[in-house]
Amino acid sequence: MIFGKKRDHRREAILPKSWWRWSAASRSCARLLLGLLTFAASGAAAQTPPLYTRWVNYTPANGLPAGEVFCVTVDGPRVWAGTKHGLALLEDGRVKKVFTTADGMVSNVVMSVAVDKETGDVWIAALGGASVYSAGQFRNYTSLSSGLANDLVYGVAVQGRYVWFATAAGASRLNADDGSWSIFNETNAPFQEPWAYSIAASKQKVYIAAWGGGVVVYDIAGHYWRPYTDPDGEMEIVLYRNQGLIHNIVSSVSYNPETEMFWASTYFGLSGYDGRQWHNYLTKDSGLISNFINGVRSRGDAVWACTQGGLSELDYKTNTWVTYRPDKKTGRGEILITHPNGKKSRMETPTSLAHNYILNMDFQGQDIWVATARGLSHGLRQP
Amino acid sequence: MAASWRRLLAGAAGLALILLLVPIGRRALAAASTTAPEQAKSYSTSQYLSPVALHLSTDGLRLYVVCEDGDRVLAVDTHTRQVVQQVRVGHRPQGIATSPDGKTLYVSNEWDSTVTEIDAESFQARRTLATGAGPVGITTDRAGRVLYVANTRGDDVSLIDLATGNERKRLEAGHFPEYVARAHNGRRIYVANLLVRGPYDQPPTSELTVIDPDQQKVTARIVIPGVIQLRHIAELPAGAGGALVVPFMRPKNLNPLVQVRQGWYLTHGIAVVRPTSQSAEGVQKFQVSEVLLDDIDRNYADGFGSAATPDGRWALVTASGADIVSVVDTAKLNRALRAAQPSQPEALANRLDLARQFVVRRLRTGRNPTAVEISPDSRFAYIANRMDDTISVIDMGTMQTAGIIDLGGPKAISRWRHGERLFFDASYSEQGQMACATCHPHGGLSDGLAWSLETPQLGRDVVENKTLLGIDGTSPFKWNGMNPDLETQDGPRSASYIFRSQGFSGSEVKDLAGFILSLRLPPSPHLARSGELTEAQARGQDIFFRSRTTAGKLIPPQDRCYYCHAPVSHYTSRVRMNVGTATQYDTIQAFDVPQLEGVAMKPPYLHNGEAQDLEEIWTKFNPDDKHGITSDMDKVQLNDLIEFLKTL
Repeated sequence: MIFGKKRDHRREAILPKSWWRWSAASRSCARLLLGLLTFAASGAAAQTPPLYTRWVNYTPANGLPAGEVFCVTVDGPRVWAGTKHGLALLEDGRVKKVFTTADGMVSNVVMSVAVDKETGDVWIAALGGASVYSAGQFRNYTSLSSGLANDLVYGVAVQGRYVWFATAAGASRLNADDGSWSIFNETNAPFQEPWAYSIAASKQKVYIAAWGGGVVVYDIAGHYWRPYTDPDGEMEIVLYRNQGLIHNIVSSVSYNPETEMFWASTYFGLSGYDGRQWHNYLTKDSGLISNFINGVRSRGDAVWACTQGGLSELDYKTNTWVTYRPDKKTGRGEILITHPNGKKSRMETPTSLAHNYILNMDFQGQDIWVATARGLSHGLRQP
Repeated sequence: MAASWRRLLAGAAGLALILLLVPIGRRALAAASTTAPEQAKSYSTSQYLSPVALHLSTDGLRLYVVCEDGDRVLAVDTHTRQVVQQVRVGHRPQGIATSPDGKTLYVSNEWDSTVTEIDAESFQARRTLATGAGPVGITTDRAGRVLYVANTRGDDVSLIDLATGNERKRLEAGHFPEYVARAHNGRRIYVANLLVRGPYDQPPTSELTVIDPDQQKVTARIVIPGVIQLRHIAELPAGAGGALVVPFMRPKNLNPLVQVRQGWYLTHGIAVVRPTSQSAEGVQKFQVSEVLLDDIDRNYADGFGSAATPDGRWALVTASGADIVSVVDTAKLNRALRAAQPSQPEALANRLDLARQFVVRRLRTGRNPTAVEISPDSRFAYIANRMDDTISVIDMGTMQTAGIIDLGGPKAISRWRHGERLFFDASYSEQGQMACATCHPHGGLSDGLAWSLETPQLGRDVVENKTLLGIDGTSPFKWNGMNPDLETQDGPRSASYIFRSQGFSGSEVKDLAGFILSLRLPPSPHLARSGELTEAQARGQDIFFRSRTTAGKLIPPQDRCYYCHAPVSHYTSRVRMNVGTATQYDTIQAFDVPQLEGVAMKPPYLHNGEAQDLEEIWTKFNPDDKHGITSDMDKVQLNDLIEFLKTL
């Protein structure tokens, strides 16, 4: 442990009194600097991915429509945050606009956002249907007015000219060229449960997180489905560590084109599949902060788990875990590091994530954006 | 009671016919529905040229003329005013563009869903490029690398890479995008949408779509309230205000039709659109003003072509139903707009006394003027007269007609051509407010609006406008099925209730009806060229022809899709049926069964247009299974059924 919770009176004695007249924030910064210096001197830094030591939070106090942020999607310099009370657009460090049903959006409860890089259109999954925001106008899709399977839409992804939706009654696919809809559920695809929570797309495949049905994968060229389920069924223990998907209740999927792996977050641990082997992680045998994972994202050599206890990152190049969460007592940020040798270390940062209950995250260059139960957090890396 | 017996007998006869024919095979039934028209046999569409699009070469020496009925492009020498070259292109060509160096022409072929690339010098077709469904408007980007094509039936814009000839992407437009224009500085592509989508009981709202060719993305969707049928787009130069001038039609369709006599029911004008600022979310904003080109006692129906002189002093707008081109003094127009109360745009858009402030000439053209082009030196304007196969040449100095270029079409006017001329002619209506084509634009479409016809009470008996494409063999007509044939439909009753005039003579009605019955539906973009159905479409076909519910229960014959929508007669039983769609505002309960052919291209649906999409027919407006037994179907089955219907 780098910093103890108790004040070190021996240090206090050798420092000038003016030190203690500094503001709390200044002391926190100084502590972070000292911590980083000590951390670097220990040699551990070389084994650790870059750390996010500064957080800027967005809440209703500075323009967010609600604290409950269900999703965040980066679109170049723009950031879309789906909340309980509308869709927020952030740019240049501020909330620029909040969209609601008054603007024509189908519902205010926004669960997922996907940007079509080809057209610039913003697709929105909401509890009430789906919307597309295109050049200032919304167009809505519901099960009554379109081929959408169900109005509880949890996820959306763009794959070429198709837009995929994860709904409570299976996956829906819209062909943007001819307007035709397809529905995939237990009747025509290997869904044990049709309740789809999340969708991720690669050039070759579409990955669907099915709540209770594992991960269901659609091969685009071959037009066939393949399910990935927990080999031990509904058991909430893992008999063999990498035997397969960790549990069938999958809350989210993410595809990493650099490693060609897909990752699945479950309420009982984290699973990744590289095409041949599974890579499973639980709190008991890794630095994962909680097995209850709401979302997962993967980029480069890292996978990020959005858990109920904080944001955990696994850098699988160095096999190092880093977890970010707020210190409930001090309100400062906490960084927990689990090194490859199993040793753990802890750092404090002057700012912290808005909340430890994490739902979603995305990348913006070197920065990260994190959707939490009490606000949206913008994480900046240490210089 | 007698009516009930008649319905029962009609139903029994229909059922007997269906039971007789179903075993023949469903494909055979579908094929039977496309047999040759009965009533239009004596009318020929051949030979006529029908010019609809113009393009001048950069030096102004060549005028290229696209002829939709002639399936060809003509090159006219502007000095000799003679046709000097021609080339055949695809079926129903509509739009034309040139490469920046002027060496290549691109012509959109609406019914083939292709673009023909033509060598401008040899006037030979080089290659054919595939587009989306129903291409019309066309332009290149500033560098000539990408072709932008408005796909009317696809509701989108194809971006075609001219190096490879392949479509790079499609961008969603509004509804039925028809014409496009590139801004003078090349930084924007504008797309005018002919039709609108929205609640049937609200005034229409049109969209002018804006594409950034650098990003190749839609960057703005300009709302033009209260109007439909945006047509050609002219851009004034920056020195003249830099605005866009777009003709439109402004309907009062929710008012009772008796208001036609007030001279204010259907009005025609222009949207003046100026780029202003960017919104908080980075979307370019535009200021939209609407002014009418009509006068108090005379309408100039069916604005179509628009063009501005290079110096921006004049803007020309053709009224294709009035055989008139209006010459707008743009400085006076700008003054009138500045003087108007900006807080009352609606009032400005309805003023019938304003045009005289800025329309300085009304010049007579040939029949049915469509596109207009102005020479680079501003000396001449050229106007394509679709129903004359001629080009009017306007001397912009004297503001007089300087000549007529004969494009070489047949001089004899067939009865079919006579009917076509009548179709586009607004002079038969009160003050020239409307032609048939006003409410049936683009050669006979439905305008997609619900209209308050006949009943002189606000909000009662509102009915959705029907398409005129492919209606031969689908009589009777009107939603109440009271008109046994088109002669009745378009005869004295139309004159009394719609045109509010003397209307057409007996022989004119016959020719008009003959022309209308000759109108064909374009190929469905949802059906493969081979005619093969996709798996979903085939499943939907099975549902359409099913006789048992999903649970295996027998569906009574009158509750089966094909009972009322019989394939043998264009998917209509040609009788009135009560399918539970009447509302408290309807006087009658049973409505004429609409044919299903081309159903995908004619939203909204049901007699009053309250179903905006095919899905809503069953998800919202069939709660008691009176419109066929459908409540047993899940969403997959409903989607499949709709995919099949879209192939018809």
